[in-house]
Amino acid sequence: MKPQHFTLTRRSFLAGAIAAGAALVIPLRLPAWAGQSETAGFSQAFIRIDTSGQVTFLLPTCEMGQGTHTGQAQVLAEELGADWPSIIVDMPKQPAPDYRLPSGQMLSVGSYGIRAWYDPLRRAAAQAREMLTQAAGMRLGVEPATLQAENGFILHAASERSLPFGELVEDAITLPVPEEPTLRPDDQRTLTGRVVPRLDTPAKVTGKAVYAMDVEREGTLYGAARLAPVFSAEVEAIDESSVSAMPGVVAVVRVPRGAVVVADSWWQAKQAADALDIAFTQTSADDLSTDAIDTMLREGLDRADVPVSTLRGDAEATLPTGGQVVEAEYSVPLLAHVCMEPINCTAESTEERTALWIGTQGHDMVRRTLENALQVPAERLFINTTYLGGGFGRKTHGEIALQAALASRAVGGRPVKVLWAREDDVQQGRYRQTMMCRVRAALDDTGNIIGMRIRVAGPQMGREYGMDPEQMAQATGNLANFDPFSLGGLSDMSYVIPNLVIEHAVVDLPVPLCAWRSIAYSFNGFFLESFMDECAAATGRDPLEFRRSHCTEQARMLAVLDRVAEMSRWSELASEGMGRGLAVVESYGSCVAQVVEARVDDAGIHVERVHAAIDCGRAINPGQVEAQMQGSVIDALGAALRQKVTLRDGHAEQSNFHDYPLLRIGEAPSVAVSLVEIGSPLGGVGEPGVPPLAPALANALFAATQQRIRHLPLTDHVQG
Amino acid sequence: MTAFTINGRAVEVAAAPATPLLWVVREQLKLTGTKFGCGVAQCGACTVHVDGEPMRACVFPLSGAEGRDVTTIEGLSEDGSHPVQRAWTEMDVPQCGYCQSGQVMSAAALLAQNPSPSDAEIDEAMRGNLCRCGTYVRIRAAIHRAAEG
Repeated sequence: MKPQHFTLTRRSFLAGAIAAGAALVIPLRLPAWAGQSETAGFSQAFIRIDTSGQVTFLLPTCEMGQGTHTGQAQVLAEELGADWPSIIVDMPKQPAPDYRLPSGQMLSVGSYGIRAWYDPLRRAAAQAREMLTQAAGMRLGVEPATLQAENGFILHAASERSLPFGELVEDAITLPVPEEPTLRPDDQRTLTGRVVPRLDTPAKVTGKAVYAMDVEREGTLYGAARLAPVFSAEVEAIDESSVSAMPGVVAVVRVPRGAVVVADSWWQAKQAADALDIAFTQTSADDLSTDAIDTMLREGLDRADVPVSTLRGDAEATLPTGGQVVEAEYSVPLLAHVCMEPINCTAESTEERTALWIGTQGHDMVRRTLENALQVPAERLFINTTYLGGGFGRKTHGEIALQAALASRAVGGRPVKVLWAREDDVQQGRYRQTMMCRVRAALDDTGNIIGMRIRVAGPQMGREYGMDPEQMAQATGNLANFDPFSLGGLSDMSYVIPNLVIEHAVVDLPVPLCAWRSIAYSFNGFFLESFMDECAAATGRDPLEFRRSHCTEQARMLAVLDRVAEMSRWSELASEGMGRGLAVVESYGSCVAQVVEARVDDAGIHVERVHAAIDCGRAINPGQVEAQMQGSVIDALGAALRQKVTLRDGHAEQSNFHDYPLLRIGEAPSVAVSLVEIGSPLGGVGEPGVPPLAPALANALFAATQQRIRHLPLTDHVQG
Repeated sequence: MTAFTINGRAVEVAAAPATPLLWVVREQLKLTGTKFGCGVAQCGACTVHVDGEPMRACVFPLSGAEGRDVTTIEGLSEDGSHPVQRAWTEMDVPQCGYCQSGQVMSAAALLAQNPSPSDAEIDEAMRGNLCRCGTYVRIRAAIHRAAEG
């Protein structure tokens, strides 16, 4: 770190902190930010220790249930020797100068919260510890090497003296920041690698945790939305008088694709929004249906001249050579996110200043939305983050912030909380994309795959995040037309297939899309792992042995496969009527194998038990890794069994939990989780538990019934 | 005006009688621990106790609260010490946490009626409470833990 950078940054903090007293502030940066502008001296993320000894840290990652804040605090507290668990985790904000990040970095996605911040956090914590230790050494007249940092104190064991961090802060800030701090040796690392209670649990069992939904500003008004049922439609006419006399109604505000009715209470606003006389424009998508989309995707599978995105080996060798050929087609539907906390945002907005209270995964996306629509410059936009009542990718987008800002402006800048009803959430998108896939494999004499051709058909969802498929192809070593949000899980598959061709027939859909937990792995995992099972069945081989023989050099794949086989007693016969299915997917830096035990009777599909083995490197908090695996399994199981959004006459047919059914407690299987530690690099845990579930279940159903289901949701296709 | 008791405190509220209790609790009484999730009694995030019975506040009209005793998550205990809250903390149940006020209120009502529920009884009593994060495995374990005292 350049001392100059630190000085600049520290000054900006001290300037804001004079009233509160001095503080030792160590900025953090990701290696990926190297070379980016210093953004006028703004810090990006930091650890701060004030003269009371309070340790606070801020990273640009939000807490949406994945446990990131607790894990980050563990890493920090351990390395620093801080008092656990008194650490305060600040919520990401922008663009208060102290908090501003380089553009494009303020996203909580991709299961990056721990793995990306682990090294920068440790380094910064070690820097702070060494500065405090040096200050204590000067005070006590002893060599810093004779001191230990523990529980918020610097200890001199020989003389039984100690000094609290807070008393050392003023001296420490006069010292240079060590360039090469020494990290704690493993035998001093007592707070990571073990189960530690979440920092946010007490607030979440008492109703005290504040979500955006709970933010109440003085004089808050409430907004309910009435948006076009057809995604590409706009407002044609609004008759405000149709609701202006209704109780509590304050204003009817036109927003993109609809209106927000503002009232004294949300219930009044909702009644009025439902009653509002509003007409929408006709569009070419007014008769769009799921059947029509399926036809478009199927045409994509058959289309000529689709460029090759990924090529391994020889394309010609992927064609049948006279040996055995296996071929299959699969599909997945649109999915909604249905975060338990419906989409909402509170705004106070005028031409001069816009403040938002929002649970967002995508501060930069929110900022860009307001910049583009209302020309709100970054320095006049203040985003306050709360806890998120679920994210799952949906809260990367910022439409709700624009609706709230427009509503606030319409009432003179008063605070307005715009809240979507659940029906808005299910019917307005954004959705996980619907995709189809055709796979064909040529097998050699030993029954191993020598060539494989995979074509997916569907939209390029990455374009919703500004990704250019040609640039992405160049950046990732693929040939062309490469969208990682469409091809993740295929182009980077861990199986060794000597000759492999992957293509994407792009089918644009007039449907709003966004990331859904594990993105492309959520469907490509289903496609590929179902297909591997089909190949094993076609050659009469055991699904475990077949997979192992296609990843013989992949230590992580083998380790989780073997572990899950052991957990599920794979080598023994399944009990009568029970089918066992296996799948393994590497994603987000982690490898997860699952075995599902399921049976089918007249009442449908019953999932009794799921075994999951994960290699995420070293688990910072094994209890939270287990929680993410359990939750991912249940999340993915609900989706695999019966979730879908279908379209008719241009709009979504589902509207609430009665027809977009999440799994209920009585349907939740027992989930056994095992952590595999073989020295792998740190991986993510929020998403990697999702992709193997659907194929493992489909494979279990095949084992139980000999019926192969290639289309999700499974319940639509099972003959109970 | 509708008069009722909330968390041991007598209140009078002016709102249309058909207003769901949820919005009165959240917006007028500023007790935001009770959540909105679906508005149609499908998810249970808004569960409160009315005279000790679990109710979905999103479809419970204000008029129905007249003269009755309403308890929200804020009133379950002063300091998170209700056995269900203690068990939830020990098992580290919440992830995003948004549904957990409702889960805790449903579980507390269950245990008040049935101090030692079986898995099947838990599944039945808790079937109205959805969790998008999938914390069900731990919810079930935490209810058993709370039942053990």
